[in-house]
This record gives sequence, structure tokens and C-alpha cells, in this order.
Amino acid sequence: MNATAPAAVRAGASADAILGVLPKEVFSPSTVEEAAAVLEEKARASASVGFVGGGTALGLGRPPRRLDAVLRTEHLTRIVEHAPSDQIIVVEAGITLADLQRAVGAHGQRLALDPPLPERRTIGGLLATNGFGPLRTRYGSLRDLIIGVSLVRADGVSAKGGGKVVKNVAGFDLPKMMVGSLGTLGLVATVTFRLHPLPESDVTLVARARTARGVRELASAMRGAQLEPAAVAALLQGRLFDVAIRFEGFPAGVAEQRDRLRQLVGQPPGSDCDVLSETEARAVWERHDALRTAGPLRAKLAFLPAALEALVEGPFAKLMGALGEASFVLYPTLGLGFVAGLPQGAVLVAQAVESVRGSLAGTGGSLVLEEAPDDVRAHADPWGPPPPSFALMRELKNRLDPEGRLNPGRFVGGI
Amino acid sequence: MSVANAPAVTISRDVVARMSALVGAKNCISNPSDLRTYECDGLTSFRVMPGLVVLPASTAEVVAVVKLAWENGLALVARGAGTGLSGGALPVPGCVVVALTRMKRILEVDLENGFLRVQPGVANLDVSKHLGPAGTYYAPDPSSQSVCTIGGNVSENSGGAHCLKYGFTSNHVLGARVVLADGTVVDLGGPALDAPGYDLTGIFVGSEGMLGIVTEVVLRMLRKPQATRTFFATFPSTDEAGNAVSSIIASGVVPAAIEMMDGLAMRAAVAATGVDWPDVGASLLMDVDGPLAEVEHTSRHSVELAREAGALEIRIPKDENERALMWKGRKSAFAAVGRISPNYIVQDGVIPRSTIAEVLHEVTELSKKAGLRVANVFHAGDGNLHPLVLYDARVPGQEKAAEELGGAILRLCLRLGGSITGEHGVGAEKVAYMGEMFTEADLETMQRVRCAFDPERRLNPGKVFPTPRLCGDLPGPYVPHPSELSGEATRG
Repeated sequence: MNATAPAAVRAGASADAILGVLPKEVFSPSTVEEAAAVLEEKARASASVGFVGGGTALGLGRPPRRLDAVLRTEHLTRIVEHAPSDQIIVVEAGITLADLQRAVGAHGQRLALDPPLPERRTIGGLLATNGFGPLRTRYGSLRDLIIGVSLVRADGVSAKGGGKVVKNVAGFDLPKMMVGSLGTLGLVATVTFRLHPLPESDVTLVARARTARGVRELASAMRGAQLEPAAVAALLQGRLFDVAIRFEGFPAGVAEQRDRLRQLVGQPPGSDCDVLSETEARAVWERHDALRTAGPLRAKLAFLPAALEALVEGPFAKLMGALGEASFVLYPTLGLGFVAGLPQGAVLVAQAVESVRGSLAGTGGSLVLEEAPDDVRAHADPWGPPPPSFALMRELKNRLDPEGRLNPGRFVGGI
Repeated sequence: MSVANAPAVTISRDVVARMSALVGAKNCISNPSDLRTYECDGLTSFRVMPGLVVLPASTAEVVAVVKLAWENGLALVARGAGTGLSGGALPVPGCVVVALTRMKRILEVDLENGFLRVQPGVANLDVSKHLGPAGTYYAPDPSSQSVCTIGGNVSENSGGAHCLKYGFTSNHVLGARVVLADGTVVDLGGPALDAPGYDLTGIFVGSEGMLGIVTEVVLRMLRKPQATRTFFATFPSTDEAGNAVSSIIASGVVPAAIEMMDGLAMRAAVAATGVDWPDVGASLLMDVDGPLAEVEHTSRHSVELAREAGALEIRIPKDENERALMWKGRKSAFAAVGRISPNYIVQDGVIPRSTIAEVLHEVTELSKKAGLRVANVFHAGDGNLHPLVLYDARVPGQEKAAEELGGAILRLCLRLGGSITGEHGVGAEKVAYMGEMFTEADLETMQRVRCAFDPERRLNPGKVFPTPRLCGDLPGPYVPHPSELSGEATRG
């Protein structure tokens, strides 16, 4: 073979466990080639492997059926290429989002992705879990930003899809295939993104809504008025929603959109809509991040935006009632939200989760437990019922990882 | 690399009769002279006679057709309006072409939730026309949008002039109903975001008809922007125009579209559409859209940057009619080239935006060496070149020389880190270049994806992949999770 140095390896310790399953060995390769060699070796040994980036989403999914080895991407942190004038970047999977943003920020650019915990979350982990933040309102999710990927398959073979240019339709879309695949199809080795210019200015406003309906009507009014917020997030505060709205762009456009939003809200205009100072704005988005990462139980909800009231007034109330210190972050334009809190009885919570799922099922909505205590897990599957296309998903998994050695059992429907 | 003379393969009379019973006699074409209409798509230099053409009217009819083809071991090639430029809808000998042009209903419009559900035969532009009164639209706008279908757009992941800001078909398709090779109907994705599991919709869009036949599509609709500002700028040469593009992008402006044409392409557009463009070396046509104050700023700023880069003249359309005429000039550029050359090949390479000037010089050199003219039209913002290689098929050797020149341009794109196709697809045309862009392992990985959907490789065979190969057997059965065995979870 080649002269790749063996990856650093140590015995698994309790801190390496994934959902309570302890790996025998933990590898920390320092290059993609070393990582490929590890996977090749594990293929020969028919060993199962899980991948760990920043370790912030290890609560997602079911416990792996087997976990012989963990491969950590902590040393795969290089920026392979950044071409500022082409607005693209190629990075290794283990780089943190914050490190990436600092590097491109120096050139007046950013990756338009702002999930909580950027200092800890890695690009590979974000890709595996389809992580996102409020900027998804305007820029879409990872699938809309990724333009290329290289991966190492279960058999140790390296392969790539996409490319380094934004516009490219050559070959099947392996980059999108990897988004949200939770390490079950291969190790994400490098990722190529399109970048956006950093906005020259921004402003955050907070409007108050008394009900979920009020939140939806505000979102709808902004759409009607052709406002183009970069981020909209409603934070449930007591019985009220604080709706944080950020405009970004050139100063003239930002100011004009700010003023038009105030015209739209409240009577007299702007009475219930504050323009925040920089410090206040930072605080409200930090509060958003804190709520997104709070609680021993955290659930992600997906629903049709117009179904918001039906959801909130229906079984969702039961779920909120079953949680202590319950919090709710809502992205009204996207139809996505996160509920978090302290379960007041595992069976009660599990029943509420199933009720919410039942109410969402007809419209293709979903509830995924991103974090949950073991007693809740004992009564509720973290993923819920698999989608109608599940047979195809299983077939895809079987083709890419025929022996089922990558993160076995952790993903949807036991994939 | 034409395959014009592939032998015709016939389908048994019994199968033809049964197909005819499934879709109705007038929607089942088996007469050789009528079949000829379907022997090629927009890539007319590649022609293969299909065995049969059927035009189903519903998902149920597609299922019935696919099952009958499956039982008889026939290959299937789905087809929309046939405007594709890479031979993605090129038949294989003896195949059944499934033309989806009768399935052109808009099934559902949900303004509140921002999506609509359409059949695959709906023309791209008809979607936006339908949405217009509600102040919404469908963003992807390939140049052929007045005729090309949503189903074809899904298969090829079609782009258009406004991709730079708004993305491609795959960014606007939320879900699809798909008939697999064995007739199974599967719903991928849907209007609610982030359904648990793999992004099969993302994998399906752009798979060039090889993974399934789409019979319904869920599209995202966008609110129309408050304002659009357009300007047209002329330059002494493509160097200055390229520099203008670079400095506009570097200034932080994200144009909705920024299109470049060289002098030859402009002269063709003038001849074909009557636009009153001057005889200069290059031009840019740019749109910015969004909130009014934002676009007032970005358009003014971009005009200044174009002037600084050496623009000869800047024209700002007085009204929507003038703007439409400017865009008509641009969008008809491919066809317009027919006015100045008996034949031409359209290429679709992509380069890193910063290399535009360098690439155009090399293309000029290559063109001189080949003794053929090249007109350049491209989506400059995202580096998507459409060199039009002009030739005369009556002159012996010119067609071959034109194909070689087109190939040399694609290799140039690859050498600079680009792609062999930005929006037309690989199809039959660029199969030979896939091995230069991707390694054997890359292609084999993509082939595994294909095998997951279509293990018998019945759908649109011969496209995308340079080497035909079988789908290998899978070692070992699926091992169920204990929670599945206990009935706690299901595998669906």
C-alpha cells in the first residue's frame, strides 16, 4: 500500500460512549489518508465504526447496535482551499464552524450558516446532522450551500461528488446525499461550500406576538410587504412570543426595511416593535442560541407554516405541559421549531410526543428527539415513524455500506 | 460522436397492443415515421430510433406502462418537451419512450405554505404565469422556459440566468412522486421541510432520468421581489467586461443575474431579434432585485463599477418592455447563432469566476487553431460558459473539428477546477468526459446510488456513466434493529 502513517489510536473511555455504547478503540487520524486507512483496516476486520466531530449532537438517534471503533475528526481541521474571488472554500470535516468563519471573515465573507455552538460544532458534524440557525430563513440549509464533498466509504475507498464551482450538474448529487445522513453512508472527509459576502450592515427588531397566530400573521405580513429578512425566529417568553427579525445588506436597504416593518406592526406603528441596539441584538440572538441548546429533552418539529396554530393549540400544548422550564424556538417562515425542557414523567412526555407526531403525520411533518433522557427513549423512538420512501433509504444504505458497519442502527428506522 | 445509424429494434406486436390498450391508441406511437419525432432531443446530432413512444395521462398509466416494460425487459426513457441539450432524452434502440407532455396539470397551489404541486409536463414558464396574479413565482428560469417542462427540469437540475442568487431546480423542489423501474410508486420529500432520513429528493433531482420517472413535483414558490433593476453595458472586449463582473461581485453585491456576451454573440442576437445593440467586443446584462432601497443602491453602485472597469455605454431600460427586449436578446442568443452559421455546438462548461478573462483568451487561441469561430454567451456570475462553436456540416471534417474544439474547451474548464456541465446535464453527449472529471471510485459510488433505485438499469441506460456495469450482489441480508423485532419501530 502507501506510506500513510498509522492514525493515533487509544482505548475507548466512558467519555467516548455514543448513547451509552462504549467503543473499544478511538482513532484520531491527522490526515484524510490516515482516516481512509483506518476505515480500510476496519473493513478487513468487519468492525463497526462511528464518527465524532465536536460531539455536540451525540444524543441524536438510537444507540448504535455495535460500536467497535470511533473515528474522531478533531485533527482534520485544514482549510484545503479558499478562493475569495470565487467565493468558495474547501475544508476538512473536523474544522469548527467558528474557525471557518474567522478565516473567510477576514476576506469579508461568510458561510451563511449560523447554528448555535459554532466554536464546538464541526463542519462534518453539521453536515451529518443538517444543522442550521436563523439565517436559514434567507439562505436555505446546508443542502443549499454545499457544492462538493469527498467521503471515505465503509470499504475505505475515497470518492467525491460535486465540485468547486457553484454551478455544476455533472454526476449524481453526492453532496446532498451526505446532508443529514448521520455518518451512516461514509466519513465526510472534505466539504466545499459557496460563500456569501458579509453584509455591510444589519439591524434586529423584536416584535411581540400574543399568540402563535400573531407570529404567523406577522410572517405573512412581511411576505406580503416584500420584506426580505435574513433571519426570523420567535422565542416563546412566558405566554408571549418575542419575534426577532434581522435585516441585512447595504445600509440604505436595511434602514428602509426596518422602517417599513415598524409601519406594519402595532397601533400606532412600531408601538409593539423595538429596534434593538447592537448589544441588545447580540443578547436576543444569544438567547435564541441558549434556548436551542437547553434542556435534557430537545425536540425538533417540522410542519407546514400555516398549520402552526393547529399545532400549538393541539397536542403540542400537552407536550409543553409535560416539560418543566419548557422553551420553544420557532422559525415561522420555515415551518420549523425546537421545544426543550425537563421531562415531568417519561411516559407522559412519550405520549405527548406520539400525539404531536400523530397530528403532524397527515401533512408530512415530523418530530425528532435530538436529545432525551434514557427513560423517555425507552418509551419513544427518537425518529418517529420512517417516511414512505424508507425502503429506498435502506437500499441506499445497503449499497453504500453493505455490511452495515457505519453507525449501525442509529439512524431512521434502524438504518 | 454521433450514433445516428444505430439499428432500429422493434418491440413485439403483442406488447405494442397492450401498451396501446393502457394509454389509448392515439397516445401510443409505433409507426416508424411518427417515431422519428422522438429520435433525438435538443442535441440533434445524436439520433436513435425508439421502439415505441407512449404518452400516459396519469401516474396510474405511467405505473402500468412501466410494469409492462419491466415484465418484458424493455428499457425506458422518460421525456419532457425534448429541449435538453445533452441528449438526456436520447432513446436507446428498442426502448419505450415515456413522453410526459400530456401530464400538464397544476394540481395544487398553497399560497399560505408557499408551495405548489404540478405534473411533470407543465411548462416551466406556465408555473410562474399561473402564480403571477398572487405575486409569487417559480425561480429557476432556463432559457427554454416557455417550452421546457418541470419534469425535464427536475431530471437535469436545470438552471438559468438567475441561479447565482436563487439557485437551481434542486433548491426549489421540495418533493416528488416517482415511479421506480419496477412500477413501485414512491413519494420523496414533501412540502414540510426536513423529513427524517436521507435527502432522496436531493439525490433524485438532476439524476437525468436514471432513478425513476417523476409524475408529480412539489415546487417552492417565492414572493416576487419588490423591485428589479436592470442595466446593459457594452465594453471594448471581454477583458473589461470580465473585470466588471469581478469587481461587482467583490463589492458584496449578489446580482440576481449577470450575463456576458461577446461581440459575435451580440451580432447574432441583433440579426435574429432586432435589438439595437452596437457592434462592440462584449456586453453585460445584469439584474438586481429585492427591496427597493437595496436595489436602488446596488444597481447604482454596480453601474459605477462597470464604468470604472471601462464600460463604453450603459443603458438602463425605460420600462418593462425595454427590459423584456434586452432579455429576449440574451435568451435567444443560442438560436440566434443559427443566423450567422449553418451549424453550431453549444457547450456548457463551468470555470471559477476569477478565471473568465484567462479562459476567453485560451478559447480564442483554440478557436484560431481549429479555424472555427466561437461565440461566447455565459452566466458570468457563476462562471457558466456557453461557447457556441460555429461550423458548416457540409464542409468535410468541420463537424469533427467542432466536436474536438468543444472537447478542448471542456478540458480547459476541468484544468482550471471547473465542471463539464453547469446546467445542461451529462446526458449522452458528455459521457466521455465524465472519466476526466471523476475518478473510477467516484463514478462507482454514484453507480451504487443508481443501483439502489434501479438495480436492473432499465431507466435511461447509457447516460452519465462512461462504462456500463452491472449492479453487484449485496453481501448479506439486512440485520433488523432489536426495536424493529419487538415491534417498537417499523421499517415501512
